[in-house]
Amino acid sequence: MLMKENLVLLKMVVNGKPVEVKVDPTWTLLYVLREELKLTGTKKGCEKGDCGACTVLLQGKPVNSCLVLALQAEGREIETIEGLGEADNLHPLQKSFIVNGAVQCGFCTAGMLLSAAALLRKNPDPTEKEIRTAISGNLCRCTGYQKIVKAIQDVAAFKD
Amino acid sequence: MRRFEFYSPRSLGEALRFLSEKGDRARVIAGGTDLIPRLREGVSQPDFVLNVLDIGELNGIKEADQALHIGATATHTQIAESPVLQRICPALTQAAASIGGPLVRNRGTIGGNIVNASPAADLACALLALDAEAVLRSEKGSRAVALGDFFTGPGQTVIRPDELLTEVTIKVPKGKGLFRKLGRRQAMSLSIVNVAVSLEMEGKICRKSRIALGSVAPTPIRCPQAEQMLANRETTPDILSKCALEAMRASRPIDDQRAKAWYRIEAGTVLLRRVLAEAAGLRA
Repeated sequence: MLMKENLVLLKMVVNGKPVEVKVDPTWTLLYVLREELKLTGTKKGCEKGDCGACTVLLQGKPVNSCLVLALQAEGREIETIEGLGEADNLHPLQKSFIVNGAVQCGFCTAGMLLSAAALLRKNPDPTEKEIRTAISGNLCRCTGYQKIVKAIQDVAAFKD
Repeated sequence: MRRFEFYSPRSLGEALRFLSEKGDRARVIAGGTDLIPRLREGVSQPDFVLNVLDIGELNGIKEADQALHIGATATHTQIAESPVLQRICPALTQAAASIGGPLVRNRGTIGGNIVNASPAADLACALLALDAEAVLRSEKGSRAVALGDFFTGPGQTVIRPDELLTEVTIKVPKGKGLFRKLGRRQAMSLSIVNVAVSLEMEGKICRKSRIALGSVAPTPIRCPQAEQMLANRETTPDILSKCALEAMRASRPIDDQRAKAWYRIEAGTVLLRRVLAEAAGLRA
């Protein structure tokens, strides 16, 4: 995947900023975000759409970035975990994950947060079932999900 | 991933021209949820990849002339959340909502679900019970293929290299349709067995029925003998049980990593009996 010939110019908007980057047609959006744009908050997990570690928002919708060819993102808006909050200005969901102990190894966390953020933007007052459905494509092998669900519920309740 | 050229036309005409010239060396990509893992594993090694997501006319869900027209790039999320589909064919929205997880449903498309021709394809099962047709276009013209004639084997269909599936058409069904699947988990799971039914009821009498099964044969299948058993009969629990057993006789399941063949038949019989009873109004 590393031969730099036949590269094609890709234009997209990442975390609100227009980005131009030369990509190989075989590269996935995940690869371009991590290796070319150095946005390594998006994790590479199974690379077949099973684990959700690579979740980003594409046109506001959570998707597996390992299952998007980079060139399919032409002209699209991408939001990664780097766009959700900053170290000194965390998103309410990030604060809630910390307060609730919803992070252990942290590998699923970026994807979990983006799936949760997409849910709350669309549905500010979700039921527990809706929360569990929204994160059902994001696997966590540490927490058993209870604290993650609680962290998301807390943010939803706080908004009322 | 083996090197390929990427082509992303904005119009259907450009896409069809591309396929007429290079179709036999090209693969079509939409949501990529099936194709990208296959490219990565080297199972699929095309010289060209044709992206159809930028062709606006392929994306849309419309009701016109007593039929539903679902564009090939409608995602599972779009289908599951479509008010018109929820009202007119809940079997299809239930199937769409059961696929993978939200991340996959936001990318995967109805066209991909059909063209990939997985025996376990959830939408394909629901669409069989809805007498859906696939509209195939090429530079030479257009043809509509009944979904029952579309699949020829696992991963195999009647689609020619120069053809593109542009739309799925469903005549507005008179009956009540339902879909259920059994997977190994509640989410992110391929079907061990899936069932879809559509019953046209007149009081307690069933006038017409459609029964489809998935993941129990080389392709999703209809069950004509079982459908015949219900025609113009009162849908008693006894008849529905016998019908479910008869339907499973049309299956030819295999043992695989998800389940053994015998389990698919046992579980499919129960699932189908319940779905038939619900569609006939015998249970909530």
